[in-house]
Amino acid sequence: MPGVSIRGLTLRYGDLAAVEGLSLEVAPGELVALLGPSGCGKTTTLRLVAGFLTPESGEIWVGDRCLSSSASVVPPEQRRMAMIFQSYALWPHMTVAQNVAYGLRFKSGVGRSDRIRRVSEMLRVVQLAGYEARYPGELSGGQQQRVAVARALVVEPEILLLDEPLSNLDANLREEMRFEIRRLHEAFGITTLYVTHDQAEAMVISDRIAVLERGRVVQTGTGDEVFGRPRTRFVAEFIGRTNLLDGVAAASDTVTVGRLRFRVAGTGVAPGTRVAVSIRPHAIALTEPVDHPAPGVNALRGTVKRASFLGDSVDYEIALADSDIVLRVVTPVGQRRRAGESVGLQIDPAACIMLTDAGA
Amino acid sequence: MRLGARALDRSAVVWVGAALALVVLMALPLGWLVALSVSGEQGATLAHYRAVLGDLALRKAVWNTIVLAFWVGLGSVAVGAPLAWLTARTDVPGRGVIRTLVLASFVTPPFLGAFAWVMLAGPNAGLLNKLWRGATGSEDALLNIFSMPGLIFVVTTYTFPYVYIMIANTLALIASDLEEAAAILGAGRFAVALTVTLPMVLPALVSGFILAVLQALALFGSPAILSLPAGFHTITTQIWTFFHFPPKIEMAAAFSIPLLLATALLLLVQKRILGRRGYAAIGGKGGQRRTIALGRWRWPAFGACLVVMACAIFLPYGILAKAALSRAWAQPLTWDNLTLANFTFTFFEYGATRDAIVNTLELGVATATVGAGLVALLAYITSRRLVLGHRLVGFLALAPVVIPGVVLAVALFIAYTRPPLLLYGTLAILFIAYLTKEMPVGYAQSDATFRGIPPELEDAGRILGAGRLRILRDVTAPLARSGIIAAWCFIFIGVIRELSASIILFTPTTKVMSVVIFDLKEEGQFGAIAVLGLVMLALTFVTVAVVQAALGRDVLGVRE
Repeated sequence: MPGVSIRGLTLRYGDLAAVEGLSLEVAPGELVALLGPSGCGKTTTLRLVAGFLTPESGEIWVGDRCLSSSASVVPPEQRRMAMIFQSYALWPHMTVAQNVAYGLRFKSGVGRSDRIRRVSEMLRVVQLAGYEARYPGELSGGQQQRVAVARALVVEPEILLLDEPLSNLDANLREEMRFEIRRLHEAFGITTLYVTHDQAEAMVISDRIAVLERGRVVQTGTGDEVFGRPRTRFVAEFIGRTNLLDGVAAASDTVTVGRLRFRVAGTGVAPGTRVAVSIRPHAIALTEPVDHPAPGVNALRGTVKRASFLGDSVDYEIALADSDIVLRVVTPVGQRRRAGESVGLQIDPAACIMLTDAGA
Repeated sequence: MRLGARALDRSAVVWVGAALALVVLMALPLGWLVALSVSGEQGATLAHYRAVLGDLALRKAVWNTIVLAFWVGLGSVAVGAPLAWLTARTDVPGRGVIRTLVLASFVTPPFLGAFAWVMLAGPNAGLLNKLWRGATGSEDALLNIFSMPGLIFVVTTYTFPYVYIMIANTLALIASDLEEAAAILGAGRFAVALTVTLPMVLPALVSGFILAVLQALALFGSPAILSLPAGFHTITTQIWTFFHFPPKIEMAAAFSIPLLLATALLLLVQKRILGRRGYAAIGGKGGQRRTIALGRWRWPAFGACLVVMACAIFLPYGILAKAALSRAWAQPLTWDNLTLANFTFTFFEYGATRDAIVNTLELGVATATVGAGLVALLAYITSRRLVLGHRLVGFLALAPVVIPGVVLAVALFIAYTRPPLLLYGTLAILFIAYLTKEMPVGYAQSDATFRGIPPELEDAGRILGAGRLRILRDVTAPLARSGIIAAWCFIFIGVIRELSASIILFTPTTKVMSVVIFDLKEEGQFGAIAVLGLVMLALTFVTVAVVQAALGRDVLGVRE
């Protein structure tokens, strides 16, 4: 089971760089999500890996085979990969069984009876046993999705590529299929690249997330890492909601924002550097206003501007005292604050992440 | 774009070959046409143009063509637009039947209609004139089809479907809620029509007018049949006479260029109008189309439709059937006059008609088969961007639209009566003419077909291990099949009715049905003409039925 190594990949459309010097290592058996907003180059990257596009520079390796470089590209059909498309791309003129069996025609050493056996086995795995003779047009969206999965997995590919495979499903089905795809990955252990713009999907499904911005990987890590310790403003804002405060580093673990001072998770930045502080709305606790806060905790005062009850949580906008900053705060349903009420805010310094690309 | 250039594989030979074939097909004749129009004894000259433009008779032919084209355009709008509105939006009775009859008029070879109208409204023996004389005792003819008004009438009769199609398809796309939105704001019925419906249909109206004008400009058969006996020429008949002995090919070339330019210019204008005001075509997605109740105007409107259909279909088809079945077409259809002799004569006894039927069928099948294959390849190349310059390929495939049949024939005549390709006198030159002429129709059909097949369906197969050609066979071809069958049929219909290029390129051994029909008129063999005409119509309608079955919709409908 080989891994994938993407090195310095670049592809431009005219003047527009779709992918620019993108590098990424995927370990054997790992599932990496390429996460980013539309136009960040994630689908282009996937199509480059599949061999549908030729890079201008950079290389794509699978194990010890160099599959793509600007000089030569192994065509898709010789890459031993499988791909699941956003539109599923099921062939409407073939039955479910014919769709799933198609890739086996090109695998040597798979006889006819073997083919039939493998197809029905795979359809059983994706819970579509008995649907062999149906046409794709006669299936629901979720069933079509499963056929696409079966068609990709039955050939036992070295690499599996998924291009936003769940975006055409309704919300409930999408959530169900997330776990399903994760389950299948754990069962088969195929090295997988998964393109999505949905962070929750990326977190549920992947071992690791690669966040893409304008054709580059800006951060890779587990869901915990990219959410809890974003390295740039872009990552902090794209993965989950956050409050971003522009300020100046006063010490290696202190940032001044206007007249306020924040203790932050230390990163060893030189004093005087312009930085931003990212604070997740969930990381802020609301208290009664206190005059003498406990040491080591960021304690602030403010006034509730707006409070919205969301069912399982309450979403506040709090205007900070001595500042024109308004913070978003999300708390569990419990003690409810009303608009106009004075409140205290407490934030653990470990939840205040200093971002050094504040110049943006 | 660049991906195509880099990702060349073994299939590249096929793509590049098809693209090159197209360039040769187009570039060679048109190059010769231009070259010959300016060639003189001592190098390049404009003498031919001066001769053409200075000649009073030729200037008259140009003027006649303009008069004809303008009135046909206007007449087509006057007939086609109301008819389209009636069938698309109102509760006029028999809408489906009317639509089918418009389709019949659309595919009727115009010269066949012209012949039928000679039998109906010729000043002496014309059936309608005889009925008139019988009814009134008058000595004079009521109608004289051999006149400019007669010509305009007959051409309009078979050209209005172009306007009809444009308007009907546009109306079908305009949702009623656009009109209702105006009504709720206080606009009355008349105001709604004037401020909402009409402006949205206007681009289609103008565009339909231009299409009708273009048809009239390029037409050869009807003017040759109706205007020559009346003693006047149009551009196309004039170009034809340049080929009579002694041939003046340079003059024909010089006279062709202005027609070519006028056609290109008009098409450009039409494209701009449709392109800029394209909102009419995208406005109504999924909206409801409300049917307007005509009330007491329902039956009068139906009557008007009936009159149009009588002129286009009932009367002409009737007289053709009568002529085919009678010994003397002008006599009443009695038992004595009834015969099948015309059929046996045409099919078995008369060599010219028999050979022509064989030639036409051979050419039809060959052109449609090669043509459907070629346009499928070309459309595949352009929709999948397989070669550098795929845009140019698409442009060239559609370019023959601007070449009137007569002009194309002049160009082909020049190109293939000299080395390296001496094709004049063979069926091959007709084959090339038909292939070129029918390319745009076939290409447009194929292009729509391939655009309807998402590329992911091909990608999905390739990543599983199938090569590009294998995927073409397993995935693309089965999905494109009905579209390609339709392209085949469109080309076939175009070929079997073709006259304007054939009339210049045929030789005694390579006559086709349309040419023989034209010849037989000189011999007064109306029975054989009628039989050949009916055969042509039968072939056409069978082919149309195949298209409708393949596409699952009627031929006049909106192309997705």
